[in-house]
Amino acid sequence: QGKVQGVATDENGEPLIGATVLLVGSSRGTATDFDGNYLLENVPSGEQQIRASYTGYADLTKTITVADGETITLDFTLGEDVEVLDEVVVIGYGSVRKEDATGVVAKVTTKDFNRGAIVSPEQLITGKVAGVQIAPGDGSPGGGSAIRIRGATSLNASNEPLFVVDGMPLDNEGTAGGRNPLNFINPSDIESFTVLKDASATAIYGSRGANGVIIITTKKGEAGSRPRVNYDGYYTVNELRGEPAMLDAGAFRDLVTFHAPSRLSQLGNANTNWFDETLRTAQGQSHNLSVSGGGQDYGYRISAGFQELEGIIRSSETERISYALNYNHKLLDGNLLINTNLRGARTQDVFDPGIGAAWELDPTQPVLDPANTAFGGYFEYGNPLAPRNPVSAIEQRQDLGQSFRNIGNMDMELKLDNLLEGLSLKGNVGFDINQGERTTFEPTTFVNTQVANYNGRVRVENFTRTNYLMDAYLKYQRSLNERNRLDLTVGYSYQDFNEEYPIFEGQNLPTDQFGANRPDIAEDVFPFNTSFENRLISFWGRAIYSFDDRYVLTATLRRDGSTRFGPENRWGLFPSAALAWRVLEENWAEGLNDLFSDLKFRVSYGVTGNQEIGDYRYLSQYAISDQRARYQIGYNADGTPIFINTARPDAYDAGLKWEETTSFNAGLEFGFGNGRISGSLEYYVQNTNDLLFDVNVAAGTNLSDRVLTNVGELQNSGVELSLTGTVVNTPELSWSLSGNIAYNRTEVLEISNIAGSGGILRGGISGGVGNNIQILRVGGEIDAFYVYEHILDENGNPVNDVADQPMYVDQNEDGVINEADRRLYQSPAPDIIYGLTSNLQFKGFDLAMTLRGAVGNYVYNNNASNRGFYNRITGLPGFMNNVHESALVTGFRNPQYFSDYYVEDASFMRLDNITLGYTFLPKRGVSSLRLYVTGQNLLVFTRYSGLDPEVGIGGIDNAPYPRPMGFIFGASLGL
Amino acid sequence: CTDLDVQPRNNLTPDVFFSTDDSYERFLTRIYAGLAVTGQAGPAGNADIKSLDEGFSSYLRQYWQLQELPTDEAVIAWNDDGLPDLVTQSWSSNNQFVRAMYYRVFFQVSMVNEFLREATDEKLDARGVSEEVVAQMPTFRAEARFLRALSYWHAIDLFGNVPFFTEDQAVGATAPRQAGRLEVLEYIQAELKEIEPLMAEPGTAAYGRADRAAVWMLQAKIGLNAPVYGATPAYNEVVDACNNIINSGAYALMDTYHHNFLADNDRSSEFIFSVNFDGEATQTFGGTTYLVHAALGGNMTDANYGVVGAWGGLRTTPSLVDLFPDETGNIDERAIFFTDGQTKAVGAINEFTNGYAVPKYQNVTSDGTAGQDPTFVDTDYPMFRFAEVHLIYAEAVLRGATNGDIATAVTLINLLRERAYDSAAGQITADELTLDFILDERARELYWEGHRRTDLIRFGQFTEKGIWAWKGNVAEGQETPTFRNVYPIPVEDLLSNPNLVQNDGY
Repeated sequence: QGKVQGVATDENGEPLIGATVLLVGSSRGTATDFDGNYLLENVPSGEQQIRASYTGYADLTKTITVADGETITLDFTLGEDVEVLDEVVVIGYGSVRKEDATGVVAKVTTKDFNRGAIVSPEQLITGKVAGVQIAPGDGSPGGGSAIRIRGATSLNASNEPLFVVDGMPLDNEGTAGGRNPLNFINPSDIESFTVLKDASATAIYGSRGANGVIIITTKKGEAGSRPRVNYDGYYTVNELRGEPAMLDAGAFRDLVTFHAPSRLSQLGNANTNWFDETLRTAQGQSHNLSVSGGGQDYGYRISAGFQELEGIIRSSETERISYALNYNHKLLDGNLLINTNLRGARTQDVFDPGIGAAWELDPTQPVLDPANTAFGGYFEYGNPLAPRNPVSAIEQRQDLGQSFRNIGNMDMELKLDNLLEGLSLKGNVGFDINQGERTTFEPTTFVNTQVANYNGRVRVENFTRTNYLMDAYLKYQRSLNERNRLDLTVGYSYQDFNEEYPIFEGQNLPTDQFGANRPDIAEDVFPFNTSFENRLISFWGRAIYSFDDRYVLTATLRRDGSTRFGPENRWGLFPSAALAWRVLEENWAEGLNDLFSDLKFRVSYGVTGNQEIGDYRYLSQYAISDQRARYQIGYNADGTPIFINTARPDAYDAGLKWEETTSFNAGLEFGFGNGRISGSLEYYVQNTNDLLFDVNVAAGTNLSDRVLTNVGELQNSGVELSLTGTVVNTPELSWSLSGNIAYNRTEVLEISNIAGSGGILRGGISGGVGNNIQILRVGGEIDAFYVYEHILDENGNPVNDVADQPMYVDQNEDGVINEADRRLYQSPAPDIIYGLTSNLQFKGFDLAMTLRGAVGNYVYNNNASNRGFYNRITGLPGFMNNVHESALVTGFRNPQYFSDYYVEDASFMRLDNITLGYTFLPKRGVSSLRLYVTGQNLLVFTRYSGLDPEVGIGGIDNAPYPRPMGFIFGASLGL
Repeated sequence: CTDLDVQPRNNLTPDVFFSTDDSYERFLTRIYAGLAVTGQAGPAGNADIKSLDEGFSSYLRQYWQLQELPTDEAVIAWNDDGLPDLVTQSWSSNNQFVRAMYYRVFFQVSMVNEFLREATDEKLDARGVSEEVVAQMPTFRAEARFLRALSYWHAIDLFGNVPFFTEDQAVGATAPRQAGRLEVLEYIQAELKEIEPLMAEPGTAAYGRADRAAVWMLQAKIGLNAPVYGATPAYNEVVDACNNIINSGAYALMDTYHHNFLADNDRSSEFIFSVNFDGEATQTFGGTTYLVHAALGGNMTDANYGVVGAWGGLRTTPSLVDLFPDETGNIDERAIFFTDGQTKAVGAINEFTNGYAVPKYQNVTSDGTAGQDPTFVDTDYPMFRFAEVHLIYAEAVLRGATNGDIATAVTLINLLRERAYDSAAGQITADELTLDFILDERARELYWEGHRRTDLIRFGQFTEKGIWAWKGNVAEGQETPTFRNVYPIPVEDLLSNPNLVQNDGY
């Protein structure tokens, strides 16, 4: 016996710490130390093979001859193995070699993630994938996003993609307990996102695949690696970018003096900037610790995270404590693989009351009014129509959400090669339990009968959502011979969703002393409860056949059964097929090898479904009225009225069926110059048929004016281009760029009950009641703005309502300006979205940034339309409202809600984040240390006049939570 | 496992619902409540009508708006989409308020039809319903048909030729045909004749439910307006109906006019059919809650009217004010105007202080106590009030009824005027009793009770002839084309139902 020792380094000569060195054919191995050194003892004499391996590097095996008592020095230099990392892509219920992928699948891994103070996982890939629009709802800490993959496919049903975390499809609906249901996943536990875009990739998820699928793969422990400890942490500061266009106290005084001198007495003496009073510089911190490693046959990873982030609106905050466990084990000589995940978090959100009132209140009024004890010493008008003091709301109102969400799954794979070579049985069981509470407390000094019809209020909402999953499938994966490879899967899946939502509200509190703890002491109590269940049962299969590495054919079929449809339409069938042709494998294409490193054509076709319409909609049901919607019929003997809880039959369509999206995709994947430039180009058309939509039905044919039914058709078509290139790649300096750009157009092709000049009004705005600014009309874009064409004067300003001439174009020339003169004008959906990522490395420095933008997205500036007119100071008795600066330009006396003047081009380019980091050379005890600073949302280029051009998917800017800009100072440490 | 039968937990499937005896009363009450509430959760939530804001979808609120806002009795300040168009008579077939009323009317009809389908003798039999419920059922069914007749009358009055469907057309059936105004009128009249004997005796039904007097009243009102709908005048039937009500002795004028519009008006001796509200049990943003709040603003102190929250919307035009001998109410107590800080003229529609405010409906009781809730009022709405019977009788006689007489008519009118003047000072003579006087007297007695548009049309003054502030979208008022005597059929239903033809002019 002898010894083998040596050092393992990378190509730059840097020692590899924790590389595994194995005596091949034995279970004997060791790991390199902090200097990359290893020592293998008791190596039997004779010719032996020694293998060194390290994550992300190609394995290297060397042969030596060992003599008794000898110590041999054997060094390993491992080369980075990009191939290894990218070799396999996950698809639904399995994974395939990248070459065999036939669908449009985009993978984003850790190194490409957005940096910043990120709470919600989806924001890690904002701007990174062509055709994926991730629109943050607002700037609240941990707020939700709207995600559109290749546009919206539905009008009523959800347009959000399906999230699958380690094989567990999530229930992604929001709850009152938190801002975003995905926040329970700690972003730092995520290994990769895989976005499945076309039907060939998503059809395996059948009825939930129409909006695309995002598969999240979390980090796992690796068998045979030494324990590694990683710490990531940062501190962040954020503040408002830009300034709301409302008048300051001085300008407001001038305006009142000029326009409404009779109201001068109503002015206050203060100079209050209500935004300064309600906003702040917010701070936050995040700490994540993970330990991972493994033995010969098992791997583990344990992580814990803590994140605390203030919002820039005072009082708003989010806090998360999370954990994640992964354990995987090979048993029975590697024939049984078990992988278990358990993760969860407690998220606590402090909700702010919003700063809508800061846009409203007269800036000459003070924040405090000590004499006004009825309102806790805050200035208030005490008039229900007047805006409330936002500072009072922030300081007096309590609104807390808390959510515990845990998901866990165990998947097992049993190889049955002894039965049939290549056969294996897989099973996956999982759960998703989300429980939480939202409590709101408004003391009597905040809400009293002067401004509302109750004195103080407590509301407690408890919710439980559970989701259980069982999947079982058989896999048969085999190379039949040199040229033919086959991969077959058939399976069954059962998933049951339950939801329970009790709410208890107490109004009129005898005392404020109990806070939110005793809703039962309220004079009037209102309990509510809702409870739902739905179930999805599926059978599915997939075949991948690969011929000679040149042609790959994939076919899938899924049969889904859902409780959301009646017995006749319960089951839906969702097929798909795709073909890939790897041109470079052709004999005749040899000449192309000099130019291309990769060239693959793909076509795919498939049908997917959508069933996110809520439960029991196909059933005839009687709804019993609550205690506040009873009706008096007669009197009791004692003279008191008799009130009856009434019953109403609800409208329904017994024939509801699946919404079906048929998509076609043609794509080209390419690589040039040894892979220095690679990319893909895709073209797609998606038609959604049997669109589920609440449409007006002929009066008299059902039990309401609108019924959810299958009508119409919608089309999305577009082109996507992704490019990744290495500009410079030397040991000292490397620079890579990747960009994506996508064009999409969504059109309403048919809605059987809407044609001609009709349409369904949508997009409610602030100002008035029931005012809608958008319309769904056949031939138009979804939610096109529906407005009057404002006549402009010689200076290009809109004609105002004081001038003695018409303001709007009389489109139908009937001499009357009324609703019939509104027309379709632009829409909130962008024509083009794009993203650009740059990564530069120079010695130990790294500089990364993400630019992102959209073209052709329009926004209705509701802040201006609802506040930019002088009637704000003359229209209401007893108080005046602040005026939007646009009034100084337009001179409007009364609101002109439906003017196209307020529909603005909100195309933009945003510097989402820019990060500068420095990585120190490994020192003894520390395998890696990186310090970085990130700027988030530092620059936005846009012509939009409001605070921020991204106002959420609906395109209506209505005083949302403003998006902050911020800096992050962080450190990553590896041991 | 492939079990996909999951039953609802918050609602009841029909099998379960009709397994108890009280289900029929709950369902029938819902049809009455359809005039008051907007959904199954008060004040809003779980709406009946879905194509617009729930508060706007209130039957009474929209009926009132369509009957009052385009007339000289009311203007409203708000800028809600299409609302100013009601005031200026420039609505289009896209108007959301027109749509709201249209769908609300046919929602009521659909509910009645469904009730009649579920309350057949065969179904009762099959479900093993108790004898007691079986015995009630003829009256229940007659009441449902009364409510259907009422809504169909509103439908033809507002919209002309309308979709027509009964319990014979099942849910999900093909789109209904459009029936002519006259055809529907005759259907309503036949229905009323048929259900009359099945209804409860006058004044004996539980408060809130319709009885035989309500049927007579509807017959009288429809008879009076029938010529507008193309029918041959039959004023004798109108007088018969009035006589039936008067002779039943079940109703009497209240001593104080204003007590009919206060929070305790459920005890009014004058109500023949009311729509009931309650601050706690029947909450809605429509109905009388709207009528009380929207009429407050300017210098008015909301607490004086039993509510918190002046919505600053409704006022009246000088035309109504000028019908009264003075604006203070000192002479004619029916002149309930608030003038402090208000101009009489309506210079601008959207300034609350332009035009006198009208706090006719209030959430305080006759002894000055505020209602139970400061937002949702207790005040009931007098759909049919006995005082109107006096006016209808007189008008029918003036229009040629031969079974009544002028002397009785003068007596009946003078009863109203004695109450208004608190003396004989307001009495009129037979010579003074003319049709023009009736139109004005109806305004004085019944203003803001949802009659004015129909009255003006009957007298030929709604579009042509009559002039008042902002009619035709000019401040001084101008005549408008006669096609506006009916509202358009909403675009939505024209598109959904290929059988419908739009009214002329739209």
